[in-house]
Formats: sequence, structure tokens, C-alpha cells
Amino acid sequence: MVEQQSVDDAFAPPGEAWHPVSPRLASARRLTMLLVMVPLLLVAVVPLAMSGQAALAVLPVVVLLLTVWMWWLIGRRVRSFGYAERADDLLVTSGIMFRRLVVVPYGRMQLVDITAGPIDRAFGVATVQLHTAAATTNATIPGLPPQEASGLRDRLAARGEQRSAGL
Amino acid sequence: MTEPAAAGRPHAPGGAGGTGPPPPAPGGALPPGAVPGATAPRRTHPLTPVVEAVRTVGVLVAAVVVFGTGALREAASAAGGLLGLLLLLLAGGGLIALALAGHWLAWSRTRFFFDESGDFRLDSGVLQRNERRVTLSRLQSVDVVRPLLGRVVGLAQVRVEVAGSGDSRVVLSYLPEAEAVALRAEIVARAAGVDPLVGEAPEVVLAAVPTNDLVMSLLLRSTTFLLLLVSVVVVVGAVATEGPGGLGLLLVTGGLPIVSVFTQFMRFFGFTVAESPDGLRLRHGLASVESQTVPPGRVQAVEIEEPLLWRRRGWVRVNLNVAGLRSGDEEGQAEQVLLPVAPREVAMGIIGRVLPGVQFGALTLVPAPPAARRRAWLQWAQLGVGHDSAVFVTSRGFLTRRIAVIPHARTQSVRVEQGPWQRALGLASVAVDSTPGPVRVLALHRDVAEARAVAEAQLVRASSARALGSGGRWMAPPPTPPSAD
Repeated sequence: MVEQQSVDDAFAPPGEAWHPVSPRLASARRLTMLLVMVPLLLVAVVPLAMSGQAALAVLPVVVLLLTVWMWWLIGRRVRSFGYAERADDLLVTSGIMFRRLVVVPYGRMQLVDITAGPIDRAFGVATVQLHTAAATTNATIPGLPPQEASGLRDRLAARGEQRSAGL
Repeated sequence: MTEPAAAGRPHAPGGAGGTGPPPPAPGGALPPGAVPGATAPRRTHPLTPVVEAVRTVGVLVAAVVVFGTGALREAASAAGGLLGLLLLLLAGGGLIALALAGHWLAWSRTRFFFDESGDFRLDSGVLQRNERRVTLSRLQSVDVVRPLLGRVVGLAQVRVEVAGSGDSRVVLSYLPEAEAVALRAEIVARAAGVDPLVGEAPEVVLAAVPTNDLVMSLLLRSTTFLLLLVSVVVVVGAVATEGPGGLGLLLVTGGLPIVSVFTQFMRFFGFTVAESPDGLRLRHGLASVESQTVPPGRVQAVEIEEPLLWRRRGWVRVNLNVAGLRSGDEEGQAEQVLLPVAPREVAMGIIGRVLPGVQFGALTLVPAPPAARRRAWLQWAQLGVGHDSAVFVTSRGFLTRRIAVIPHARTQSVRVEQGPWQRALGLASVAVDSTPGPVRVLALHRDVAEARAVAEAQLVRASSARALGSGGRWMAPPPTPPSAD
């Protein structure tokens, strides 16, 4: 794991700081992760319980360590998300190992999606996704509280209409 | 055989059902195309059902040959020699008659015309009537396609494409070639709002690819050449160790390049690029000839591809990102190649027509920093990024050098990305996003601070170019942005 360095020039926020996403996103993602890992842990225990050989305890221990590591990683990943609205474009950043920054001019936005699965809804977060005519744009902001998400969408739509350009 | 399809013929005897085609221009004596209003319904060429039937039966025969010759022979011998053969012939004849009848029925119910509002209509369907209307104000392109079977009898298809998602394509098959070309011209003229009888716009051939160059260039492409090289190694290795098992690999390493060279040869044979008022016209193909028109307003990005083994000959290939084409679409792919192989100067001249106002001579690319050498030791020397008042340019690639050019106004979004190794070296990559297609505009492995600066500067240039609304108008003088930088 690479430690968070002093602010990289390439990924610095345009203003004083990135607008962070809700920490509730971490809870939602951790629950999703546990829904996979807990059954896996149970399966990993089976050989140990059936044979009673101590060496087989390695399996559940590995799964447990993996779960703890993912728990910690999800927290870091969620903290790495951020966005910023500028006069002409929206900036979205994410990633720890592989860091990325996407800048989408308002005039280029074709549509803005808000999606929220059942777990997301239970934790009160939604995902805002921006689409341009390019398939590679991939500007996604997960973990926004629903009011913030719809507010952001409405602002983006309004600015997009003002600055709309053809293809 | 050569009846003038333009003169609205009386209905076919068998085709007067309850769901007959609606004749918008009664009387039949309407001179077609005299005014840019409605025209009498016309039919496709009467040989159409024959061609379609041959195609259908051909597929069936191929399927039988591949899967069922053994079964057929058994059936024949079971029924007893000659009688069995006779039965088979009868079945085959019946099949052909059935296909003919079906396609004849479909043909007899097919009409095309221009309606009162001047839009193109295609009515077809036997049981389920299908009336398709092409709103000419949303016309994207009209192509004349000559598939192999049609060419044999001198028939062609007209393919009309409009802006829109999903199945927005209307294919009219078949017309005599001259008539197909005339119809194409008429559709374009009506869409442009000029006299529909103006005829086909005059065109000037800008470049033609000689067959020798095409074959040579396909053999010398980097992937082809590498795979052929691997095949040689496999053969030598297999012979040396006398393990015939190794020869199985040959099917992959030797077969793939042969298939790819062959399909590209078939597709790009006789490639010509011509200029006409409605765009660049591309014409190519050996078995089935396709002609496509690329209006310059639809070109989103251009890539100059230069395989290692082409450089000594000064050859390049030119690829395009064109708006509205689904990527991965078999038919779309052909249109994404502007020129399969051409000398550099020729290619540059043609690119200049697609992207007016670009001066490649004045462009200087900034090379990547020395640290990038440790991340990309092969392509390091090729990495570069630059811009002028009209376009943003990047270069990359070792075995195949790729120079990507995107007009500032076509910038969709800008990305800065950094992997762990790049971070250790203080590098980051910049990508300028374009519409789906073969061209990717990537400025790889820049200095961290420089990367962000390049991205931000490109956003400013894109925004001022958009504000100018430079649509890249065909044959119009390029708008000169007030020094965007």
C-alpha cells in the first residue's frame, strides 16, 4: 500500500478542498462486502470442523484477515472520492493506487443519472453519473445523500443547458 | 429487364390485399421528381426476388454441405438409389420455388417514394406491413452498396442512415446501379434542399490505393508480421524437436494473420478517396463494393497509424472517430478507416480536408520527461504532446506509432490518471476523451505538474473553441480562434 503523499500537483483540488462523499457509503460498501465474506468464512470453517486438524484453521484465518483488510481498504477508497464544481466544468477524483481525475465541461454533458440500489437506499446514499458522447468519460460520484445528489443533478442540468454545444 | 422503375407501374396481380400500399399520388402520371414534393411509388428491380432467393438458398445449401451430406447420402440410399436422388432433387427444387415465391411476394409489396413533406418512404412487408419514413432533415449518410450477388446482375443497394439510436438504417435492395446512384443523389439533394434532379454531385478523386501497396502494407503491419515471425519460430521449433504437437500452434499464429490480411484485402481492395460537396467519398471492396460518404462535420478525431515496417516506405494509415457510429459494428468499422495505406504527404493532404485549418508542419510535439523512460522504455522516444490553434495532438507507440489528432471543439472530457509505478517516478498520463471509435487521444507519462497543466490548458482551449461553435464546416474557411493560448 502506498501511503497518501503530500498533495500531488496533478490531483490537487481546484479550490481549498475536494467536496467529499458521505461516510455512509463506506458502511453500505462494507455491508455488501460482508454479505459475500461471511458465507465464505462459514464455508472456510467447514473443513476444520469436519476433520478437526488444526492446520486447516489457516483457511478461516486467511478469510478473516482478508475481510479486515477489505474493511480498512473500503474506508480509504471512500475517502478518496471527491468532486468540485467550477464555473465551466465538473471535476471528479477517485482512487488510491490508481488515481484519476476526470474533468467534464458542462457543455458536453449529455445526461446525468442518479442510481441507488437497495443497500444504498437503506444507508441513504445515491450515485451520480455523468455521460458525455464519449464512452470513456466515466465520471461517477458514488455516496451522495439523495438531496445532495438531486441538487447536484439539477445544477448540472441547468448549466449544461446554458452551455450546450453540438457534438 | 431494364424497365424504368420510376414510372409507377400498376399493381402486381397478386398483390391487391386489404392492406395494400397507400398511394399518396394517385393518377400515376406524376412526373417523378419534377417538384421536390411527392413522387409516385416505385418498385425495386424485378430481379430482386431472384437475387434474394439465390442468397437464401445459398445459405441453406452451404448448411447442408457443412452439416448434412452424410445424412443426405444415407437418406438417398435408404430410399433406393435413383429414386432417392430424384426425391432429393424434387425437394431442392421445391425449396427454390418456395424461396422464389416468398421473395417475389415481398418484392411485390415493396414500394418506395418521397411523400408530400418530401421525406423518403419505404413500405414493405407481406403479412405485417412496415412503413418506414426517413426524415431527411436528420439524414446522416446515403451509401450505394454493391454486394457480390447483386453485382453479377448489375444491381445495387441503397443504404440510408439517419441520426438516431437503434435501428435507424433503411436498406433498399435492389436497384439497377445507375438508378441507385441517381436515387442517392436525389435523396442527398432533397436533404440539402436543392433541386432533386441536380444529379450526383461532382467529385474529384484525391487518392487511390494501388493493389500492390495494399498487399505489401497488410503483410508488413506489426501484428501480422510478429505473428508470421512466431509461426516461423514454431515451425523451426517443431521440426527441430520433431514434436508434431507444436504444429497445432501454427493454426493460431499462422492462421490469424492470413485471415486478417485476407479480410482486410477484400474490404480495402481498390480503395479510392474522392472529394465532393457533401463530403469525402470512400469507395472500396473486392467482393462487395461499398461507397461511403464522410461529412467532415461528423469527424471527431483522426489517428495516423505508422507500423514500424512501414516507416522506411513512408506509409501511414488514417483512422477516424465518426459520431453516431456504434463501435464494434461490423459495417461501422469499415467507415472508420479513412485511408488504409498511403504515402505520408497524401494522407496529410486528405486529413487537411477532414480537419480544415490544421498545419502539421507548424506543430511541435513536446517529448516526455526522461523519467518516463523507466516506465515505457520502448515507446519513450515516441511519446509526445502538442497543440495548435485548432487541434490537440498526442503521439505514442513503439511497434506502431500512433499520432492522434482531436479538434479542440470536439473534446468531450479530459482525464488525468496515475498508477503506482507512475507515482514513484513522478509521472501521470492525460487522456482527451472522444466519441467511440478506434482513435484514443492519450498523452502518456508526463511530468506530474505538467500533466495537470496540459489538462487544464486543453479544457480552456476546448471551451473557447466550443463558444465559437466551430462546426468544421466543409469547404468553408476555418474559423480562426482568437489566440486560444
